[in-house]
Order: sequence, then C-alpha cells, then structure tokens
Amino acid sequence: MIEVIEVEKSYGRKKILKGISFTAKKGEITCLIGMNGVGKTTVLNAIMALTPINKGKILIDGSPLDKTGLEKITFIPDTITMLPKMTIAEAMEFMNDFYTYWNQERANELLGFFRLNRKDRISSLSKGNAAKVNLMLGLALDVDYVLMDEPFSGIDMFSREEITNVFTSHLIENRAVIITTHEVGDIEHLIDKVVLLDDGLVTKEFSAEEARENEGKSVIDVMREVYQ
Amino acid sequence: MDRNNNRDPVYLQIIRYFKEKIAIGELQPGEEVPSRRELAHRMKVNPNTVQRAYKEMEQQGLIYTERNHPSKITTDINALGKVRDELIVEAVDNFVLSVRSINVPVEELLELVRAKYIVQDDEEVKA
Repeated sequence: MIEVIEVEKSYGRKKILKGISFTAKKGEITCLIGMNGVGKTTVLNAIMALTPINKGKILIDGSPLDKTGLEKITFIPDTITMLPKMTIAEAMEFMNDFYTYWNQERANELLGFFRLNRKDRISSLSKGNAAKVNLMLGLALDVDYVLMDEPFSGIDMFSREEITNVFTSHLIENRAVIITTHEVGDIEHLIDKVVLLDDGLVTKEFSAEEARENEGKSVIDVMREVYQ
Repeated sequence: MDRNNNRDPVYLQIIRYFKEKIAIGELQPGEEVPSRRELAHRMKVNPNTVQRAYKEMEQQGLIYTERNHPSKITTDINALGKVRDELIVEAVDNFVLSVRSINVPVEELLELVRAKYIVQDDEEVKA
C-alpha cells in the first residue's frame, strides 16, 4: 500500500499541497482527479521523491520512502523521456542497464500487446505510439506500484482504447496503480477508487462502484457536485 | 454492456447481461463462463467488479464453481426458468409504468402490441 499522509508542499510562497492524504492499495486502480494546476503531478513527484515535501509522510508498505521503497515503484510520466534518435530496442536496452527490475519477457509481451516495432525510432513515432512505448517501458518493470501521469493526454480515440486494455489485462494484476487523468469517461468502469483534489486538499475519496450503487451517481456526477 | 450507462452499479449490469443470455438460451445449463479477467477485458470493466458479480451470481445460484475449475452456469432448470420469468415481469412492469401516464385503454394497447410484434417478426424474416 502507498499511504500519502498530510503532505504539504510549497513552491516559493505558493502552497500547492495543503495537507493531502489518501491511500492506494495493491490490486486496485486509484484515479487522481483535479483541475489543471491543482498539484496532481506534484503528488506523483512527491511519491517518487523527485520533489522534497515540506510536511507530512509518504509510506510504502508501511515504511518511509528510501531507495528500496522507490525501487518498488514505476513512474510513467506524461511524455516519453528517451532520446528521440534511439530506436525502441535501444530504449529497452537502456532500461535493462539502469533498472534492477526490468523484465525483458514482459517488455516483449507489451511490444506485442501494443503492436509496436522495436526497430522504429522514437522520433518517428506517432503521438499514440510514443505514449504506448512510454507505457511499455514503465510497465515492463517488475514492481508492485505503478504511477501514470495523464496516459491519455493528446491521444486519439483508438490509441486510448488500446491503452485502456492494459487495465483489464494481467499486466497490472495485483499491482497498485495510481493514475491521473482528465479523460475520466474513458476509464470510469475500470477504476476502483477516485481521489478528488481541489485547492491543495483532498475534497473527496470514494469508490466508483459504491457511488453508483449507493447514490446512483456516475464518477462525473460526483465531480460536478464537487467542482461546480 | 451498455457503455452509456455509467450510473448503475457495474456488477448489476454484468449480472443482468448473464440473465439475458440465460433467458434467451444463449448460455446453456452447465456451460462454462469466461474467466474473471477475460470478461473484464471483453466488457472493458474492472476485474474486481467482475469478481463481485460472479460472487453474487454464485450466491443467487446462477453459477457454480468446483474447486480449480472454471465457473459454470447452473444445471438447475428451475432456477434458470425463474430468470426468464423475472426478466419478462420486469420488462412488462417498466412498459406498463411508462405507458400508464398516457392513459391508453388496455385493449387498445394489446392490439398495438400485437401489431408491433407481427411487424417486427416480418422484418426479422426479411433480414
């Protein structure tokens, strides 16, 4: 489990996170939602210790973040970070060299899953395929925790559909997934939990299926109530 | 499954899908049902939700699981017959509810229903 406890973060004088708490469990998909600039990416960066926090705690399997804890997490940023002139195969080799938990077999499987060609150069990829390569590189790590920052942004409908197929596949089975997105409609039947962020705080944390069952509301209905 | 229905609990939508398939005989007594993950993939829904639907269907006696085997549709013909009755009554209830407000005499209504049925049957034959 990832536990984010009362986390505060300021950039200069501006307080972005004002005491954020939520949890993400294994075997569940947790979706972080908030308007632009609300600090979703900051939360992910804080979990990865890419940005120091001012207050609060982040626990992975009950322990504070350290090198071992961080190795259990794969962070998939919203754009691919590999050099444009690399081929997909070279990007895979790079991952293999630098990441302890790189799983070549799983990477090959993901190549097939997304129908990617390992000889293609990163610079030649369509936006949709670049997003798929980005996901492939992140999901091929054999770790329990997956953070995805806006995996659908700026991607055509068919690529989005292919990417959502990941969520029902064994490729994320038993992992804890935290995803940020603006395209909730695409995945509202796929996520377990929703965490709504507003003004530096968690305004609501709820189970998508329970909102439907107990209140007859879709995830988007709940969002409208909170944000309007 | 109806992709536009985002307000009904997904597990109930899954159960309904199975009941419909049972009622029209597309799922036969004793037939294997897809694995949790396979169905999640096909319907594009969360595998945990499928798990919940299967558990509920097991409790309702619609499917059963023997140790280490895929789940199967029950062979209890009575239980399966009830599913069909239940769906028909539910559909008629909804129909009556929506048509009541227009105050149509029942005889006229039945005539209309009969006529519609014949037209639809003809269209199916042509197709």
